[in-house]
Parts: sequence; structure tokens; C-alpha cells
Amino acid sequence: MKNSSIAYKMILYILSCALLILILIMWYNYSSSRQTMFRELKSNAGNLTSSIVNRIETVLQAVQKVPLNVAYELNNFEFTKEELIVLVKGMVANNSEIYGATIAFEPYGFDPKQLYFSPYYCMKDDTLSFTYIGCEDYEYFYSDWYQIPKILGRPIWSEPYFDVGAGNIVMSTYSVPFYRTVNGERKFAGIVTADISLSWLQELIASMKIYETGYGVVITKNATIVSHPDDTLIMNHSVFSLAEQIGDTNLHNVGKAMIKGEAVFVPYKSIYTGKKFWQYIMPIPSNGWSVAVLFPEKELLADVRKLTKKLLIIGFVGIILLFLMVNLISHSIAKPLTSLAKAAQKIAKGDLNAKLPPIKSSDEIGQLTDSFVYLENELKKYIINLKETTAAKERIESELKIAHDIQMGILPKIFPPFPDRPEFDIFAIIEPAKEVGGDLYDFFFVDDNNICFTIGDVSGKGIPASLFMAVTKTLIKATTAMGMTPDQVLYKVNNELCQENENMMFSTLFYAILNLITGEVLYANAGHNIPYYISRDGELRFLEKTQGMALGVIENVRFETKKTTLRKNDSLFLYTDGVNEAMDINYNEFSMERLTKTLKPLYNESPIEIINKVIEEINTFAAGVDQSDDITILVLKYFKGSRD
Amino acid sequence: MEIKENKKDAVLLLELKGRLDASTSPKFQKKILSVIEGGEKNLVIDFSDLDYISSAGLRVLLLGAKKLQSVDGKIVLACLADHVKEVFDIAGFSVIFPFYDATEDAIKSFE
Repeated sequence: MKNSSIAYKMILYILSCALLILILIMWYNYSSSRQTMFRELKSNAGNLTSSIVNRIETVLQAVQKVPLNVAYELNNFEFTKEELIVLVKGMVANNSEIYGATIAFEPYGFDPKQLYFSPYYCMKDDTLSFTYIGCEDYEYFYSDWYQIPKILGRPIWSEPYFDVGAGNIVMSTYSVPFYRTVNGERKFAGIVTADISLSWLQELIASMKIYETGYGVVITKNATIVSHPDDTLIMNHSVFSLAEQIGDTNLHNVGKAMIKGEAVFVPYKSIYTGKKFWQYIMPIPSNGWSVAVLFPEKELLADVRKLTKKLLIIGFVGIILLFLMVNLISHSIAKPLTSLAKAAQKIAKGDLNAKLPPIKSSDEIGQLTDSFVYLENELKKYIINLKETTAAKERIESELKIAHDIQMGILPKIFPPFPDRPEFDIFAIIEPAKEVGGDLYDFFFVDDNNICFTIGDVSGKGIPASLFMAVTKTLIKATTAMGMTPDQVLYKVNNELCQENENMMFSTLFYAILNLITGEVLYANAGHNIPYYISRDGELRFLEKTQGMALGVIENVRFETKKTTLRKNDSLFLYTDGVNEAMDINYNEFSMERLTKTLKPLYNESPIEIINKVIEEINTFAAGVDQSDDITILVLKYFKGSRD
Repeated sequence: MEIKENKKDAVLLLELKGRLDASTSPKFQKKILSVIEGGEKNLVIDFSDLDYISSAGLRVLLLGAKKLQSVDGKIVLACLADHVKEVFDIAGFSVIFPFYDATEDAIKSFE
């Protein structure tokens, strides 16, 4: 398609630009919204996580207070067995968060007869149940919840554990040591505990709505999982054992971060599931556990992605619209251009009536079409003009040709001109230059025994020269008939030509009359090249010079007649300066020297032979260079009585 | 053909360069007629660099001389090469124009 180039280019450039801009905007929008999203997420996640931690902390602290108060009282007051049982009962009954409680004494610590003393209350199916713990199978003072705080001498939360007796509930116990002062010595006496079920913790975490698939995890100081959406993991795994089992090193790192006890916001990609998360890790101050809240990245970015998708759709719809518009515009440009181009081709082939597309608008295309209309009209005018000019020129040229033909026509052209006169032979040639020139020659009988012959050259070229030449020739012939001597003829012709010669045209002329009986030649010269005398014995010389000037310049100029006598077989060689000034391509002239050298061996030849030979030499010399001037030669050979 | 124009006091010096033939003489004619019409009376034409003159060139010089005659002016020719001078001699025009071998002498001739 010829017009596809503009359309194609516009579509290509504009659309790729627009596409680039679109991609840049998308990218910038996506990355900046993503950043904003993360900034907001970080603070929201922090708030959310710390609120969870606070809630846990509140519960834990509330629970902690109970055994702490009891331990305080035990430190300072004596209690009876009944009082102790009431105290324990009160701990459980008055605090909903506390699942079970006991005051466990050192072996024989409460009653020297009793190895175990540890009254225990717990909530079982919403009713308080009482028991003494401690038997042969369960020597409680060797349990962790008893030993660790005893050794450390401070209260401590136990690692979570399954309380089989209480119905598979995950528990954690807060153990507070208490002391007795015996004989002024402070002595460890036992442990007050409060058990809490961790099911509330799991419920709390589970109740958090963290996008679709986000969730919370709580682990202990030892990284044991105590809350997780997957119940099977709870208490059965530590983060590390889980990481090892599923081969997830990232999870291992998360575990490390969690037990460090610092609050951090870090990305996490599960190698196991391939899912990406952002997670907020925050420690619970009371028991040193750690809460991690995981935010699924995909869902976090869902809004951003949705927005980007919408923008992309808008962008692509825009690009399609742009494509249609550009296509429309470029075709609206290209179509008239194509028809213009077609019209221009027609015009170029000469069809000046080629129909141009109508001018529909004043835009550039309209202007261009307008210019084409103008061009076509101007071309039409020009062609018409040119035709007229050419016709005029052809007419002038043909007239010039006619003038040239007339000019040539008035010169005698039939040779031999006088076949019945054996006393002499005459031959003349005129090789006209391209432009009409002003050379002339003539010969005619003055009377029966005298023949007049002449050669001349009018200044300049063209119609004026040829007219002047014709006038000169006519005057010469007419004046000769009056029976005057050559100098008188020239004097008279000169004065005639000087009349009204505003342009100072002039003609050089050699004029001679030969007496055919005696061979006597009377001649006069009006500023013309002096002829050669070719003697029958090979001698070559110029005729004697005579006084005079070219005709038509100054009136009353005096001429001079001189005389020479031809012997049998002597010749005269008359020529115009077109001969010696014939030029080769380097403007070298044929020259008098070359002419003399050419003529020297030709003394035995007939006039036609001599002329042909000279012309041949000139042509060889000029080697195809256009003649700038007429070349005219006249040769007369005298045979006296007859040729033999 | 080139024509250089040089005004020296009351004399106008025209220096010709190249060939003065049928094709270049119209230019020379235009020049010479315009300077004469412009009031120049004393013309020196320097032929130092002129290689060739044809009868058409001679005609322009004659025309110039004739025009100047009526206003009492004249044309003086200087530094003609031999073959150029010969053209004047053959046509018999050597009597019409004064010739000088040096341009300075030609200019001085008007003093």
C-alpha cells in the first residue's frame, strides 16, 4: 500500500510513545502505591499486633496478680489447711481466666507427717472440682512448674503443656514461689500456681481478621507453637522442628527472629507453600513469648493490583482509541497526498488537465493542493507561452534560413560558369558558418574581353551583415557597368555605402578586372586580405598592396589601382579571413603560414583542385570545431588563348 | 571577454581581455555606447590582454569613434599585439585610430 508509509510511521511512533508513557505511569503508579501500601501496612500491622499483644498481656498480668497476692500472704501469714483450701478455691472461683490453681508445699512442708500437701481446684465442666495432687506416681515437687521457679527464686510462666486430666486443654502455669521465715531465716516453702487454658489465646488469635488468608501465630520462648490456625501444629511442633520437617530455611529464620524478643516487620516467603507474607513479630513482655501476624502479600497488593489492572485496561482502551484516531488522521493526510501524487505524475507525463483532488480544508494539505492547482495552471500558461515562443523562434529561424539561402543565391554557383571561354578557369567556394555571415564573391564579364572578379567580407554576422553584403554586391555590379577604373568603382561604392550607415557596418573588398587577351589585371583593394599570386613555375607571392580602406566607413576615401600581368597558367588566389583565421579547439589559427605552405605545391593544379586541397587542410586543422566565420575562396587561372 | 573600466582624470581606460569577435562584440558595444552616453569623451582602450579581434569588433570601435566625433572626443588604442594591429592595417583603419605602445602614453595623449 503506497500510502501506508505516513500512516504506518505515525501509528508506529505515536503509539510506541503512548505505550511507553503508559508503561512508565503504570510502573510508577504500581511501585509508589505499593510503597504507600507498605508504609500504611507497617503502621497498621504494628498497631494490630501490639493490640493483640496488649490484650494477651492484660490477661496474663491479671492472672499473674492472683498467685502473686496469694504468695505474698503466704509469706507473711500462717494459714490453716481449711483456710488454704478456701484460698485456692477463691483463686479459681473469683478469676474466670484461671482454670486451676494450687498451693504446693515442700515435702513435709505443711504437715511434717504428710509428704505431699497441694490442694488443687480447677474448673471442670463449669463446676469447681477439688483434689489433692501428689502421690507416688506424681511427686509434684519434681515437676518443672515447681522446680524451675524454686531454683530461680522468682515467678515464672511454664512452657505450655497438655493437661490430660482436664480434657486435653493446652495449659500454661504461672508459678510463684513463697517463703517462710523460720528462726529469722527465710526459707523456700512452696509454690503457688495459677493455670490458664490457652484456648482463649487461640480464640483471640483466630478471631483476628487478617485479610483472607492472613493469620497469627504465637510461640513460646522455646519456639513451641501455641497458637496456629492449623491445630495439629499446636504443642506438637516448635517453629524450628516444623522448619526442619518441611525443609523451609526461611521459616527457620523467622523462628530465630521471633525468639530474639524484638519487634520487627519482615517479609517472609514460605518455601513450603511458595506464598509471600509480610509479618509483624512482637514479643509478649510477661512470658517472653512471641506473636507473629502474617499478612499475605498478594492480598495486601490486591487493591494496588486491581487499580493497576483498571489503569491498564483504561490505558489500552486509550491506545486503541489513539490508534484509531491516528489511523484516521494519517489516512486523511495520506489519501489526498496519494491522489495528489497520482495527479502530479499525470501532470509530469504532460496531462495538464489531470483532475486534482478537491480542496476540502484550508490545512496544509489544502494549501498543497492549492499550490498544485496553481502549478498546473502556471504550467498550462507556460506551455502555451512556450509553444508560441517556439513557433516564433522557428519562424525566425526559418526566415533566417531563407535570408541565408537568398544571400547564397545571389552568388554565382554554377561551375564552370563560362564553358565556352577557354582563356581562363574560375572556381569559388563559400563555406558559410552556422550563423548567417557576410562574405561575398562575384565574377561577371564587363565586356567581351574583360572579366571582373571580386571578393569581400562584411563586418559582423546575421541579417544586417547579409543585407549589407547584398547591397555591396549589387552596387559593385552596377557601378562596374559604368566603365570606370577599379579605384573609381570602389570610391563610388564606398560613398554610396557611407550614406546612412549609422551602425558603421563596413565591408572589405578586393576588386579586379582581367583582360583575357593580354592577361593584364587592374585591381584595387578596400581593406581586404591581399590575394596570392601563384606563378606557373611554383613561385608564390602576394600582389602588391594598394592604398585604401574598408568600404562604408569614411566618405571620399581615395583608392588606388595597380596592375599585374598574368602569364599563361598563372593563378590568383583570393580569400577571406575565414581561411587564415579558421581555428582549432584551442583557438589556434590556421594562419597565413599554414596557408602559404598549403598553396606552395599547388601551382600546377586547377582552381577547383587548389580550393579543395585548401578546404581539406583547413578541415583537418580545425578537426571538427565549428566554423566561427564564413570561409570563402576564389581562384582564377589564366590560360591566355586556350588551355593545353 | 572581460572589460575592466578605470577612470583616470578626464580619461576613461577600458581594458579588454579575451576575444573580441561576433559573439562578444555586442557586450563591448553596449559598454562603449553607455560610457559615451554617460559623457565620456576620451577613451583609451587597452589591448594588452586581447587575443583576437574580428571585423565585428572593428565595427564597434568605428561606431564608438563616430559617436565621439560629434562631441569632439576620440578613441585611442594602446598595447596592440602584432596580429591584432595587422587586422587594423589590412582593413585600412590604422589611419582612423591613434596607436600607442604604452597605456600611459595613450592617456597622456589627451593632455
